[in-house]
Amino acid sequence: MKPFDIVIVGGGGAGLYAAMEAMKTNPGLNIAVLSKIYPNRSHTSAAQGGANAALANKAKDDTVEMHIFDTIKGSDYLADQDAVEVLCSEAPKIIRELDNMGTPWSRMDDKTIAQRPFGGAGRPRCCYCADKTGHTILQTLYEQCLRKGVIFFNEYFALDLSVDGSRSRGLVAMNIKTGKIEAFPAKTVIFATGGYAKMYWNRSSNAAGNTGDGQAITYRAGIPLKDMEFVQFHPTGLRKSGLLVTEGARGEGGYLTNALGERFMKRYAPEKMELGPRDLVSRSLETEILEGRGFDSPAGKYLHLDLRHLGADIIKSRLPQIREMCMYFEGVDPIDDPVPVRPTAHYSMGGIDTDNLGRTVMQGVYAAGECGCVSVHGANRLGGNSLLDILVFGRIAGRAAAEECGKFNPTSIPEGELAEKELELRSFMQPKGHYERYGALREELGHTLGMNVGIFREASKIKQGITDIERLKERFQHVRVFDTGDIYNTNLLQVLELKNMLDLAETVAAGALVREESRGSHTRTDFPTRDDEKWHKHTVYTMEGGHPKIGYKPVTMGRYELQERTY
Amino acid sequence: MKRYAYYQSCINESMTKEVDRSIELWQHDLGIEMVKMHESACCGGSNLDYVSPKHFALVNGRNIATAEKQGLDLVVSCNTCLMTIRSAKKKLDESADLRNEINEILRKEGLEYRGTSQVRHLLWVLIDDVGLDVIRKKVKNPLSKLRIAPFYGCHILRPSTVLGKDNPLEPTSLDMLLDALGGKTIPYEHKNRCCGFHTLLVAEEESLNVAAEALQEAMEQKADCIVTPCPLCHTVLDGYQGKALKQNGIKGSIPVLHLSEVVGLALGYSDRQLGIKRHIVTV
Amino acid sequence: MSDSTIQHHEESRDVTFRVHRFNPQVDSKPYFDDYTIRLEKGITVLRAINYIKEHVDSSLTFRAFCQAGICGSCAMRINGMSKLACTTQVWDELDKAREPGVIKVEPLRNLPHIKDLVVEMDPLVGKMQKYSNWVDSKMPEEQWGKKEFLVSEEEFLAYDKATDCILCASCVSECTILRAHKEYVSPAVLLKSYRMNVDSRDSIHDQRLAGLVQDHGVWDCTHCYRCQETCVKNIPIMDAIHGIREDAIERRGTKDTSGARHAEAFMEDIEKKGKLVEATLPIRTNGLAWTLKNLLPMAFKMVMKRRTPPPPPLVKASKGIDALRKEFKEMTSHVGKDHEKKSGE
Repeated sequence: MKPFDIVIVGGGGAGLYAAMEAMKTNPGLNIAVLSKIYPNRSHTSAAQGGANAALANKAKDDTVEMHIFDTIKGSDYLADQDAVEVLCSEAPKIIRELDNMGTPWSRMDDKTIAQRPFGGAGRPRCCYCADKTGHTILQTLYEQCLRKGVIFFNEYFALDLSVDGSRSRGLVAMNIKTGKIEAFPAKTVIFATGGYAKMYWNRSSNAAGNTGDGQAITYRAGIPLKDMEFVQFHPTGLRKSGLLVTEGARGEGGYLTNALGERFMKRYAPEKMELGPRDLVSRSLETEILEGRGFDSPAGKYLHLDLRHLGADIIKSRLPQIREMCMYFEGVDPIDDPVPVRPTAHYSMGGIDTDNLGRTVMQGVYAAGECGCVSVHGANRLGGNSLLDILVFGRIAGRAAAEECGKFNPTSIPEGELAEKELELRSFMQPKGHYERYGALREELGHTLGMNVGIFREASKIKQGITDIERLKERFQHVRVFDTGDIYNTNLLQVLELKNMLDLAETVAAGALVREESRGSHTRTDFPTRDDEKWHKHTVYTMEGGHPKIGYKPVTMGRYELQERTY
Repeated sequence: MKRYAYYQSCINESMTKEVDRSIELWQHDLGIEMVKMHESACCGGSNLDYVSPKHFALVNGRNIATAEKQGLDLVVSCNTCLMTIRSAKKKLDESADLRNEINEILRKEGLEYRGTSQVRHLLWVLIDDVGLDVIRKKVKNPLSKLRIAPFYGCHILRPSTVLGKDNPLEPTSLDMLLDALGGKTIPYEHKNRCCGFHTLLVAEEESLNVAAEALQEAMEQKADCIVTPCPLCHTVLDGYQGKALKQNGIKGSIPVLHLSEVVGLALGYSDRQLGIKRHIVTV
Repeated sequence: MSDSTIQHHEESRDVTFRVHRFNPQVDSKPYFDDYTIRLEKGITVLRAINYIKEHVDSSLTFRAFCQAGICGSCAMRINGMSKLACTTQVWDELDKAREPGVIKVEPLRNLPHIKDLVVEMDPLVGKMQKYSNWVDSKMPEEQWGKKEFLVSEEEFLAYDKATDCILCASCVSECTILRAHKEYVSPAVLLKSYRMNVDSRDSIHDQRLAGLVQDHGVWDCTHCYRCQETCVKNIPIMDAIHGIREDAIERRGTKDTSGARHAEAFMEDIEKKGKLVEATLPIRTNGLAWTLKNLLPMAFKMVMKRRTPPPPPLVKASKGIDALRKEFKEMTSHVGKDHEKKSGE
């Protein structure tokens, strides 16, 4: 195959924005987007809330400065302040640009883009399109990429970076529809494969494919990851699917109750009750479950979100989508029955370590979006900043790659690498005396992470988690792929995704163990306070001998001094 | 004798005259009377609504207002007329502005659209007003020997927001009626599919492929005949049957009967009386 | 009901999934596999087939991603109807099953089959490209990001509902005409085309419309409403299709294509007679040559059976046609005023 100037891995918001911006920057470049699903299926579509930008359409006194401060404070001061400045000052331009290319933003009476309040923001600055913001942004970007004639390799699964010393030759990937392993020699590669929170499996709100493929590939290729221990939990995920019941349900007056029928929030937030901050409510639910006041079921322990007292009229008129979700996914009508819920993992702050242009330590390799870690979210991401992150840094990475690819000579990927990969994949299909099912391993991984490296963490539990993950990695050697065909082998794909999750889970657990403090989403019961003296720094992971080696990196400070984070 | 304002569908006045002829034969046997609406105008055949939405509302508002003036429900025996007039009614019932606009015009003719008359298919009247038990008792010549493929057609089922009588995925009304007439309906995948009529003149090849598929399944299922409550479906499945099957290389033929004809047969009328001899495919 | 029940027991039962299987690498033709599993009430079809894949047969192949009804990956035919497996409750499907306790699961129709429940989506993407399913902005690219368009509530509402489409292709699978001809534009692409054409920020409305009125375009739709009935997001797709037709007649006139001429004939006849003059409909739609070639062979039989529609002079006008004509004219003047008002804004 003719070498590409840019190969983008992932077709969500970050990948598509990168592709479009790269084509705008230099239309003569040979650019390809590879995605394991059709790009319009990407997880960007699941983001309902919106994207923050200090347009000052709604609150006339809103400023980029205020957005910067809110983001830094929200990050528990672990975000790099120069990166946050880029994020927030690019935000208004990004929102307008999306408008200019057709995103159906909701509007205000004066015909300008509407904005609404969001948690942790000092002003109403979240731009939205009803509850389908991510979906419409993704559609818009996909449409524009089709308009510009971006070349898509849909349903290609990225396997490896081909590395030659300190630089990459390009990507090795499998065509899912044929099973063929193909080389994508490229001057530059941009990873935009999304987050890794699906490793919590049934305790995650993420799409099945949010398995951190890009992070795992680069990690194995010697590129460092950063801040992996920071994973955000949402208090009310549905018991069976992990899908989110949004905060609106509690906002309208829903109760959280335990198996004793108590509104248990009275123990944790006697005044605000169910409307306490998200992390506090998550920790409260988790405590109730750990202390044995939850319900038990084959799908795990849970609590009740009870809306029945609101009555059918209010539920139907004010919470129609929440009701629909409970009925579709849980088979429960909240008018008649309480909804089974428990906290669920839903966002990964960590990712591939990049600079403010999306560059990694390896020449020609970039990362953007939830896949990367610049870092703008630090220890905790603010609502409305995740869509913004993928858009701003997807665009920046696309432009940077387009401008810099000329510096690199085209190379080719040795045939031997493909043959070797082929053998490796085939080996999963060989009958073995003793074999393991990937489904069981995947569930056990999610379970141990949820129990030991979840909302509450402490040394002994995390060590248990690390032991479990090591054992799962050993058992993974015996996993067997029963589908021996070439065409659309999802059995093989899910095994490869599990491998990626296992490698990354090790970094999450290792980081959780070393970080002896509580900061943002990372709560150590044995170290309950933030410790700036020792831990105001990023963790950085490199793979050595198949396991993570931890290093550190300073946080870039700026105008804002460290403060206690109170709301 | 329960009376209804009977809407004159264009096709039943020209190509499928046997429909109204057969209803006239047996209506009194079942205690109903279809009072012909000579002043009704063409519903627009699911075309006028996008050529001019306002004329569409006017013409059909007028049709319904005419029935209302007589204090009768409006009954049709063509699916597309049913869907079209009902969707106009829905628009008028939902918009006071539109209602006022057409009433301002209709008032000069002494008409007013109030929304009091229902718009119903003959099939629904037979089931809901006459009743299946009554029909069962009146049957003289049960259709017991016939294996029938019931073909509902689209516009008696969809859009369900406008029709709302049958579940469009698993309709049962026609099956129930045929059962009451003593016939045996067969499982028929195409029962709720399309006949292709509305694109006959615009995309004939596509239309005939659609029709051929429906005919083929009925023949494969060894049905003796297809029965439809819609004269448009009948026109394609009967009138264009030869051409459709030939285009798709399918041998054989299958008779297609109107709902009104099988009611007549079961009540003891002859095929000549009912006009069945007028069909293209010999019955 | 007592609130003190700690152990929550749910109804459970055995359910059989009869799944369409086909792997072109080894199978000569498709077949069905039955999987019977014990399920708890409240489970979706997707979770059930996921369970089968994980615990019973890992080779069972289907697409699934978000599992939350927004990505559109897992559309398949369940008990004969195209829908998302992730938003479909097993217990609801049991109520509809033809054979008690058996739920039939098959791939979408009208798209090339790849394996088991997976079909090829490329043809749909190709049509989105062919019909320019994107906003081609009125603002030049160099200006992007500097200022936002002003969009009124009315302008926004014109496309709001259509942007709910997740391209799951359920409507594509159920489309009557696509089944009859694979070149047909398809309902999803018509919906998207409509969404672009009513966007006040778009600049290629006329060009897109010109494409839509060609062969295999908007006029080939047979108004069967299956697309709308199957839409997992309850989008009134037929309204969009009718919207394009309305627009085509308004902007391109009624003589433009056979479809437009056909539609216009209804308007003409109602005004003249209150009735449709069917005898001349083919000629007015497609011209004399087409009519002779296509319908003459059938005409003989029709005449023999006295099924030919009466020639125009013999079509009796509706009773009260004079009043109708007057009313029709009055409405025409209303419509004229509406247009003036609209263009004045």
